[in-house]
Amino acid sequence: MLHYAKIWAASARYSITRTLMFRGDFFVWSLVELFWMAVNILTITVIYEHTQSIAGWTKYQMVLLVGTSMLIQRFLMGFFWSSIFEMGRNIRSGNFDFYLAQPGNVMFMATTRKLDPDSLLNSLVAAAVVIYAAHQLGLDPSAGQIALYALMVLCGVVIHYSILVLSISLAFWLTSAQGIEGLYFTLTEFSRLPRAAFTGIATQMLFVWLLPVVMVTNVPASLLVQGFDLTLSAWLFGSALVWFAAAVFVFNRGLRRYTSASS
Amino acid sequence: MFATFDKYRQVFLTGLQSNIVYRFNFAVRGFFSLFHLAAVVILWSAASLGGSGGLGGFSLGQTITYFVTLLILQFFISAFNEDYQISEEIRNGLINQFLLKPINYFAYRFSIFVAARLVSGLVVIVPLLIALPVLREYLEFPHDYRVLLFGLPAMAMSAVIQFSIAYCFGLLSFWFLEIQGFVILSMALETLLGGQMFPLDLLPEWAYAIARCLPFYYQMYFPAAIFTGRLTDPTLIFQGYGIQAAWVIALLLVNQLLWSRGLRRHTAVGG
Repeated sequence: MLHYAKIWAASARYSITRTLMFRGDFFVWSLVELFWMAVNILTITVIYEHTQSIAGWTKYQMVLLVGTSMLIQRFLMGFFWSSIFEMGRNIRSGNFDFYLAQPGNVMFMATTRKLDPDSLLNSLVAAAVVIYAAHQLGLDPSAGQIALYALMVLCGVVIHYSILVLSISLAFWLTSAQGIEGLYFTLTEFSRLPRAAFTGIATQMLFVWLLPVVMVTNVPASLLVQGFDLTLSAWLFGSALVWFAAAVFVFNRGLRRYTSASS
Repeated sequence: MFATFDKYRQVFLTGLQSNIVYRFNFAVRGFFSLFHLAAVVILWSAASLGGSGGLGGFSLGQTITYFVTLLILQFFISAFNEDYQISEEIRNGLINQFLLKPINYFAYRFSIFVAARLVSGLVVIVPLLIALPVLREYLEFPHDYRVLLFGLPAMAMSAVIQFSIAYCFGLLSFWFLEIQGFVILSMALETLLGGQMFPLDLLPEWAYAIARCLPFYYQMYFPAAIFTGRLTDPTLIFQGYGIQAAWVIALLLVNQLLWSRGLRRHTAVGG
């Protein structure tokens, strides 16, 4: 465990040094994420000029939901995104060999190599959005509630991570996993919607239960807004475990098929 | 004159062929867009239920129709990866061959762009037709052939604006190694002010007035609003044409400027 913490710290140090080398890049990318978050918040504000509620959620409840979705996404981007995407390319090009030679679990090594400090910085902005919304709603969560919220957000990050690793692992079979990035962003659109808005049986099955993209944000957000619900929280925790197990399984299956591609 | 036309006609035809190769990619992309449409329908249905039934004076059907139109327009006129292609050609020196030939790089690239969009626009009809049984109950297009008459010129100018902006970003490669940050930054602006997140007429009046002066409004929203009957007043439409034409000219001038300035910095290496 300590061994992995050390490896991770080394990667983190490397990423931060790299960022310090390309300060302009860091600035532009921080701005990019900030802009996209602003786009989502502005959209909510404009829609609420013309309606009082979306599936029973008031304006600031929606902001809290969207803030939660941003928080999970920033963490995912900050800790794993670059590494997971490079993994797809490396599998195709054969550069993946590099990770096989490293002293540690391959999945860990391949998915935690690079941090994106700009996303981590913006996770503070996302957290500020959540806090601001909670303040506007006059919420006064207990320490236990906050801890549970954090745990649920963590489960969300695990689920997103697992879905992403699963889809990129397809590159072991298909060689190219291009376009999955777009699909991921499309799916996150659903994570900004309240669960009650999914009235059709098909959409509910698909996006709420089968792919838990909706629950990932709705469970932590409703925990603050409506209070703790044991069944839902347990369900999210359970599905985080299931998705993670599936990701590990598929990744390792794929790894067996990896034939390298040296020329 | 005819020789010039014929030159770019050949480019167009080659572009057509090389993009038909990607028909499957376009179809997959179109299929993914159905997910986006599903999210749009879910969000706006809930919003319209939570209000007094309408959304800024338009019914839910009209709102959904707007988003469907936007999707179709996107595949017909918006720039996909033209900026990256241009950036690549500059960085790896492929652009050098155009400097020696009697060919205008902008016209060359634009011909390929038109060919590419023709292919992607026709391909996206397939996933939409598949979704039609579900979508049909939401579609409320205006029953007035004049919207086509008014909308098509706006759409043509929008295509030029879309391409010119991408071209500008591509040319930035003369100065910067990486343009991705700029592209995504501007994409956020385009998404918001081009009307992709919500119809711009839902903005508060003062914000709408500002948006109407910006190029993003004419990138996508303007033709979409005409086609879907959100913008019907002929005075406003002609005013829009005027501002749109001004942006077309301004962007073409910027393109020209970036091109001539950029070439001065450009070093062609190797053979």
